[in-house]
Amino acid sequence: MSVLEKVRPVERRPETERHPRRRGVTDEHGRRIRAWELALRYLLLLGVLALTVGPFLWQLSTSLKGPTEDIFSSPPKFLPGSPSLHNYERVADTIPVWDFALNSLKVAGANVVTNCVGSALAGYALARLRYRGRRVATLVFILAMLVPVEGIIIAQFTTMRELGLNNTLIGVVLPGCVGAMNVLLMRNAFLGLPYEIEEAAFVDGANAWQRFLRIALPSVRGTLAVVAIFAFMGAWDDFLWPLIVLSDPSKFTLTIGLNYLHGTFANDERLVAAGTIIAVAPLIALFACLQRYFFRGVGEGAVKG
Amino acid sequence: MSIPRRALVTAAVALVLPLSACGSGDSGGSTDASGKVEGDITFQTWNLRANFKAYFEGVIVDFEKKYPGTHVKWIDQPAEGYADKISADAAGGTLPDVVNVSPDLVAPLAKAGLALDLDKSAAQYEKEYLAGAWASHRIPGMTGTYAFPWYLNTGPLFYNKSLFKEAGLDAAQPPTTYDELFSEALQLAKKSDGKVATLANVPTVEDFGRYGVELMNKAGTAFSFNDAKGIELLTKYKELYDAKALDAQALTATPESSGRKFLTGAVAMNPGSALDLGNFKKQAPNLYRNIGITDQITSTGKVNMYVMGVMVNSRTKQTPAAVAFAHYVTDARNQMSFAKKVAIFPSTAGSLGDPYFTQEDGTDETRVRIAAAKSLKNAVNYTPVLFSEQMKTALRNEVAKALQGKESPKTALDNAVKTCDTLLRQQG
Amino acid sequence: MAVFILYPFVSTVINSFTDRRTLIPGEFVGLANFRELLHDEMFWTGLRNSTLYVLGVVPALVLLPLLLALLVQKNIPGITFFRSAFYTPVVASIVVVGLIWVWLLDERGLVNSLLEAIGIGKVGFLSDQWLLLLSAMAVTVWKGLGYYMIIYLAALANVPRELHEAASVDGAGAVRRFLTVTVPAVRSTMVLVAALSSVAAFKVFSEVYLMAGPDGGPAGEDTTLVMLVQRTGTGLTGRVGYASALSVVVFVVTVALMLLVLRADRKEDA
Repeated sequence: MSVLEKVRPVERRPETERHPRRRGVTDEHGRRIRAWELALRYLLLLGVLALTVGPFLWQLSTSLKGPTEDIFSSPPKFLPGSPSLHNYERVADTIPVWDFALNSLKVAGANVVTNCVGSALAGYALARLRYRGRRVATLVFILAMLVPVEGIIIAQFTTMRELGLNNTLIGVVLPGCVGAMNVLLMRNAFLGLPYEIEEAAFVDGANAWQRFLRIALPSVRGTLAVVAIFAFMGAWDDFLWPLIVLSDPSKFTLTIGLNYLHGTFANDERLVAAGTIIAVAPLIALFACLQRYFFRGVGEGAVKG
Repeated sequence: MSIPRRALVTAAVALVLPLSACGSGDSGGSTDASGKVEGDITFQTWNLRANFKAYFEGVIVDFEKKYPGTHVKWIDQPAEGYADKISADAAGGTLPDVVNVSPDLVAPLAKAGLALDLDKSAAQYEKEYLAGAWASHRIPGMTGTYAFPWYLNTGPLFYNKSLFKEAGLDAAQPPTTYDELFSEALQLAKKSDGKVATLANVPTVEDFGRYGVELMNKAGTAFSFNDAKGIELLTKYKELYDAKALDAQALTATPESSGRKFLTGAVAMNPGSALDLGNFKKQAPNLYRNIGITDQITSTGKVNMYVMGVMVNSRTKQTPAAVAFAHYVTDARNQMSFAKKVAIFPSTAGSLGDPYFTQEDGTDETRVRIAAAKSLKNAVNYTPVLFSEQMKTALRNEVAKALQGKESPKTALDNAVKTCDTLLRQQG
Repeated sequence: MAVFILYPFVSTVINSFTDRRTLIPGEFVGLANFRELLHDEMFWTGLRNSTLYVLGVVPALVLLPLLLALLVQKNIPGITFFRSAFYTPVVASIVVVGLIWVWLLDERGLVNSLLEAIGIGKVGFLSDQWLLLLSAMAVTVWKGLGYYMIIYLAALANVPRELHEAASVDGAGAVRRFLTVTVPAVRSTMVLVAALSSVAAFKVFSEVYLMAGPDGGPAGEDTTLVMLVQRTGTGLTGRVGYASALSVVVFVVTVALMLLVLRADRKEDA
């Protein structure tokens, strides 16, 4: 609200349109973007691109290098001389990579569901419901986020064993099923919604549950997508906890399974590189699918034109 | 508010107490291994599944055939986090019946009463193994032997011939004593203008041992590597470091990173084993043509070896079957066939006399294998079994301070010994 | 949550008053662990490094991802590709990231070759204790960019576009629009990012571990507090009691840090 006040005086001095009329790319509001601005944008984008994916491409290149190529030459060679997918086949031959991936998928999928549901509910309760101790509850979530995991992992394992959940995929999912950080993210998103809309619904006689489902939740789809991808990523990448909980190799997740590629007696960097690519590809695909949701928020609700 | 809070704490204490009791040495299974070999047991290996699945499945099938009524479940853990995994299992009471361990893992498990004393339960098998290998699972300050010796490894020193030539050294005459090593390293650094280092790692406790330093007192109650010889070695290394003959990044190096440095030709020598030969061929075919192979340098005449063991969980419900299986995996026949699958060495008596370890066939692999097998007959595992990860870190940090010139070699080693002694006492 | 976070946490607090080892149950030793901490040189090194890490990383992680989010917010052709590409460092495993960066920053790595080519000469990124810490910070920022970018994107989507239009119609330049429209609108998110990133930075482990080695740099000079927890407390010979005391200190400091950030926010609110 303070934002509106700051901007309003500005609005009183309308000026003529500054954008030159030219055909070209328009942004999401249908406004044209000037050519030089577009060029600058692409230049910046490409610059950041080189920084972010450069190292990654190197990994990709290593995974495509054939068995006769030097991968430790100095200075490093970036392009494989005779690219082949052979290393990927070898990964599948060495370890049951698809079984591991399926386990990871189960764990990550479950983690996404529990986190989305759990943190949406808890976040809404923290942001909107009025009850005593709301502040304390928020603080508890913040504190929970701060507990250093490294110190409690063995105690967590012992707990899990007492519950009879060691060596199960449920045991892998449980500790992270509602991430404190996700709850805080959702709380922030709900807090950012204009309260007026919900008030109107309240006047119409909608109860808290209806307001949550029909009004609040659809408005924070962007944040929910963020929570989903963070939850998926967290579960997909976790190494130490699944390693400690699981004993049976048939239940191992992909991160643990890929660690087998670091052989005891021989380390083949090409194989490791191919394994890494296999592990990361689904995450990037997931992100590419979900990214459009990040741009839908309340702003989308107040449609204009 | 104060009453519920107190109640909460009381409840929490009540919850935690059983947890802290878990690690205590309450008696579990029996130590008597003479009963009938039967029942279900679990066997855990350390990162061997990917390459040796068929071998282990074969061993298990044979064992189950030999002892009807037994069933062995094999699980394999990945390389990373093995100590963490075993810690959690040991603390949580979920340790498998038969476990693949290294000596530094055996010591704390034995002290916590989790490793079966083989001198009590399986003494009849002792004579089947090399004396040195059997002894490597004895723990100073305790009586008993706590694991069957399994595979051994040792290896030569690899060097980069072209780097030696460039420095005007005779590539056919690699250093054989510490003095030669140090002077040639200095020359390599000087000729290459500090661009080529000869060594990539700071001295470890094993290096001190190989240099002839007495590492520990006989009773195993205190360390002693701060003697005159220890100081001499560290002083030499300081000289190398200052001359850039010891790689500048050595203070933060890991075995993997120094291996990579050797592969890129930034470092002229690297300790390794027969296994690395295949690795070189695959990773750096250009370097492979220039690789020279020479013996480990020692002042004691005894090379260093690494030992793997197979331990029996003292809480196992199937003591006879667990002991029988641990022995079966490590017996001469199975060790021999494992050694033929990968370049490691059997720890069973007489196996190293097999033609496989004595007859040349002209290849580098065989040459390295034969030399290693010969040296293994009196090899030593220099690293004391009581030397924990925390002690290794303490030593490395003090060594680093000496190399950087922040402390004299003597002060550094004195401090390291002091810290290690404290840690030793705290281990209980 | 009570079972999986609170219970282990309470047991950690209780352990911090004992001399428990991984396999040996401890006895109550009162404040001995905490007293030992005060005299442990490594503890102070760790505290210093973790604090430096927060100071170095947090400002960059509050600002740069916001700028990046603004850059990719507009729908121009190919933007989906760029958005996903910018996210790759986040999903790449930290082990791989560490390896790649070590490779790049090595004495003979790409960066040093470039520096030599332009006449600056070699820089010992991986051998000097301060440069090592700085390199690790760079990796943290690099890997965190995409992560916080997303949080900002979600927040930016909530900024009513009328505000921007009004400002741009008014002729406000990009910088002014950024300061008068964007920043106030995403301020609560900036606080959130500041809080999240400072907590994460204080608890940094992987980046330093991978860049500076398990010992934490030369003579352990780059050790962070969580590395110290890991080093003293894990493995079969771990001193669980002492490591728990360290964990408790880490916890207390992060709580203080969080409160500090949140309080700064509230002051501005008033």
